[in-house]
Amino acid sequence: MNMRHDPELDDVLQDQELRRLGELLSSTRRAEPPLDEAFRSGLRRQLMQQAWNMSEGRPSLWRRVFAPPGLAWVGATAGLVLIAGVVVFWALQPTGGGFNQIYINSPMDGSNAVALQQPILVAFNQPMNHLTTEAAVQIAPATNVTFTWQLNNTLAVQPTSGNLAPNTQYQVTIGPTATTATGQPLNTAQTITFVTQPPAPPPPSPSPTPRAPVSPSSLLTGEHQVAPLGGIASSAVQWSADSSTVYFVNSSGALEGVLAKGGDVKVVAPDGVSSPAIAPAGDRLAYIRGGKIEVLTFAVGTTAEIAVTPAATLVGWVKDKLEWVAVDGLHTQGANGPTQLAALPATGIVSAVSFAPDGTHAVYRQDLKLFLMDLATAKSTQIGQANALFDGWSPSGAQVIYSSGDTLTISDVHGRSVGTLPGADASWSSQDAVLLGSETDLYQVRPDGSALTKLANGTYRSPMWAPNGTAFAFFRGGALWAASAPSLPPVPTTLDLTSAVVNSFMTARQKGQTDQAAAFLDDGGKQAYSSGGLNLVITGDPHFSRFYILAQTVTGFQPDTATFVVRLVLTHGKLDVADFEETLTVIRDATTRRFVIDQAAAGAHRDLGKGAEVVGVVVAADRIQVMFDSDLKADTVTAGMVLLDSKGQQVGDAATYTNRTVTIGGLKLKPGDTYKLVVLSTVQDVNGHNVAAEYDLSLVGPAATLEADLKSGAVAAPPAPASPTPTPTPTTSS
Amino acid sequence: MSDPPRDDERELVARAQRDPRQFGALYDRHFQQIYRFVYSRVREQTAAEDVTSEIFMKALKAMPRYQDTGRPFAAWLYQIAVNAIADRYRTLRPTQPLEDFHDLSVAGPALEDLAAHRDEIRRIWGLVEALPTQQRTALVLKFQEDMKIEDIAVAMGKSPGAVKLLIHRGVSRLREEADALRPVE
Repeated sequence: MNMRHDPELDDVLQDQELRRLGELLSSTRRAEPPLDEAFRSGLRRQLMQQAWNMSEGRPSLWRRVFAPPGLAWVGATAGLVLIAGVVVFWALQPTGGGFNQIYINSPMDGSNAVALQQPILVAFNQPMNHLTTEAAVQIAPATNVTFTWQLNNTLAVQPTSGNLAPNTQYQVTIGPTATTATGQPLNTAQTITFVTQPPAPPPPSPSPTPRAPVSPSSLLTGEHQVAPLGGIASSAVQWSADSSTVYFVNSSGALEGVLAKGGDVKVVAPDGVSSPAIAPAGDRLAYIRGGKIEVLTFAVGTTAEIAVTPAATLVGWVKDKLEWVAVDGLHTQGANGPTQLAALPATGIVSAVSFAPDGTHAVYRQDLKLFLMDLATAKSTQIGQANALFDGWSPSGAQVIYSSGDTLTISDVHGRSVGTLPGADASWSSQDAVLLGSETDLYQVRPDGSALTKLANGTYRSPMWAPNGTAFAFFRGGALWAASAPSLPPVPTTLDLTSAVVNSFMTARQKGQTDQAAAFLDDGGKQAYSSGGLNLVITGDPHFSRFYILAQTVTGFQPDTATFVVRLVLTHGKLDVADFEETLTVIRDATTRRFVIDQAAAGAHRDLGKGAEVVGVVVAADRIQVMFDSDLKADTVTAGMVLLDSKGQQVGDAATYTNRTVTIGGLKLKPGDTYKLVVLSTVQDVNGHNVAAEYDLSLVGPAATLEADLKSGAVAAPPAPASPTPTPTPTTSS
Repeated sequence: MSDPPRDDERELVARAQRDPRQFGALYDRHFQQIYRFVYSRVREQTAAEDVTSEIFMKALKAMPRYQDTGRPFAAWLYQIAVNAIADRYRTLRPTQPLEDFHDLSVAGPALEDLAAHRDEIRRIWGLVEALPTQQRTALVLKFQEDMKIEDIAVAMGKSPGAVKLLIHRGVSRLREEADALRPVE
């Protein structure tokens, strides 16, 4: 009978018979006791409930707001506001009060965000004479319209171009010559004023606050248990390169593999396994067993043993080359045998944590601190504060995730923080989606924190993406599970990101929030708004009432750079009376990776209401589209609008006009080159009013990638992208 | 340099200390062995469930005070388990028969040898159950749970030397009892 020998007992049981008894006792194990799985899971639920009660830090604000009770309150509040608004609106409607007074009204009146695809509705408190009323209608800016009546007292005014002009304040006046059906005159003119929306829905931009859970139910597909583990020995799940198989170490220390779709569990190594690591090509699986490295080659099914001294404690792959960590440092398998890549610190308790996927760095812990080592220079950089914990790598190995407190931090390989995510078990996919798993739910998010989406409720611990970026494995209870997650929405373009910054910056200024606005400026931007003569907060009368992005374009990469022309509208009473433009250069900060405003310049004030205004410009490499707020006389456009290159030479075809939009085609704009759009004062609106003064706009040829994006449709099409910068004019401030 | 499973465990413990909601990972990892140990001591499923619940609930609540002494986290759980079992069964002894042992021998003995071997094992473990509590616990943790002496010391709140002494005395007493029970040839 073979007995198990325990060296630890040699000095305890020195007598041969005692030793035999000890070995006899060691040679037996009790059978697994009867276990009610419902008890195991029920106890776990109790513990988790207790853990939540114990949890000191409350969930973050967004989690609370978007938790079901919070969401209910938000919904209820929004509903009440809407109902109250409707009640107030109708309460304020004239009751008629007799037909001696004629009232007009419109649901659009006073609105600052009227949709473009709708007629202008004008309601009267009594039936009107169609002919006299239509003749009395005046619209500014000049707009060709048609009329439709409903029940003789509601007039629908429809622009013949189909839509209202974007970013435009409309004034619709019913003059005193309008009469009722019984011939009573209006007596005094009455005006409806409203402002239209930008030309397209706001581009999907990353919100600084996470989105609410998209769905209360799971967005996952194919969720199933892959293999029971009888507990979890290690969270180091490895996927095969074709995403078909998962390898894991079970509670007995055995390395096992199983098809992700389910099936029989196959034992790769029976016991004592740690640090499994599959080669990037998927052809080999390395692991540590008994201090030695074993490498299984799948094609032939053989396992090679590599004895290394000192014993390996962590193994990994850099492309097809094996690397490992031993007590004296990091090593690799060179042509002539093991080669030390770098030494680890000799003081404190040091433990290696992980190799970067690209093999250029490794993470190790020294006492309570986490360090990132550059294997080429052996230089180490601490990441995070004491007690920081390693959570994973980006697929490229250029960034590392670590956690401290309730937050995950993404750091570059220089130890610089480049972003944060909510605290959870993280896995970063090949598609740049980060899974955030926990005991209670699963989220998916982009590394920059955008597009946070709740995928499911439940336990999703230690999620691990498959190489295909669709499937993932996770632990629940004492078992390994797998599921597939939906793709994240397309990555925001540079224009999406930069326009979000510009909108936030301008909104803060409009609200007079100096500090919040200044947070979007780097040193260059701050200088422009301090000594550069620009005012961060605009005061006085006429007051700064609204803004819109007139044009925007990506003008460079490395760093990512975009140029915006923002028009600021000044209002006296209810009427827009003047505007001016600011040209903002937005760049991606090299350290924080966030976009900030680096340069700013302001143009001259212009009075409004004196001829057609440009309200949007779209620049592509082969054409430019210029949108006006007024219907124009087409025959004044061809000679009235030109595009000049930096030498003053006209480029492109002659301008063509349709539906308030002028197009100059036949262009081959060069990325980065400067052009000038000229709108001469000879351009007239349909009422015969000339443009108040020549309007010049400097444009920059769109960067090549943007051009490609536009052609491929990857960039949310116009009207967003455009690139003009106004002709440099003396800086002014209001 | 420490071993990778311990590093992995340290990470889990650190997370659970920082956020109790992370305790589930430690529960998943250690439930089976603790439940098995408890069941082997109380020999009744409902009682094993009660005690196991008590152990993990105590562990969760005590996590903020847990200090890494360099020994496995399981040693600390066993310490709670030993105390919980002692509290519950201070005056009671398991009464169920000892029939659930598996032979771990590698070689395949003859059937009659195997039967004799199992009989001897059952008899010896029956004697273990009759040992004084401290000796019995030390022997169970050593020979059934396959723990290192230093970890048993943590679990029992004693020094490694004291554990060695308990094991020595326990096995010596087993020999005496076994001799006394051995039929005269």
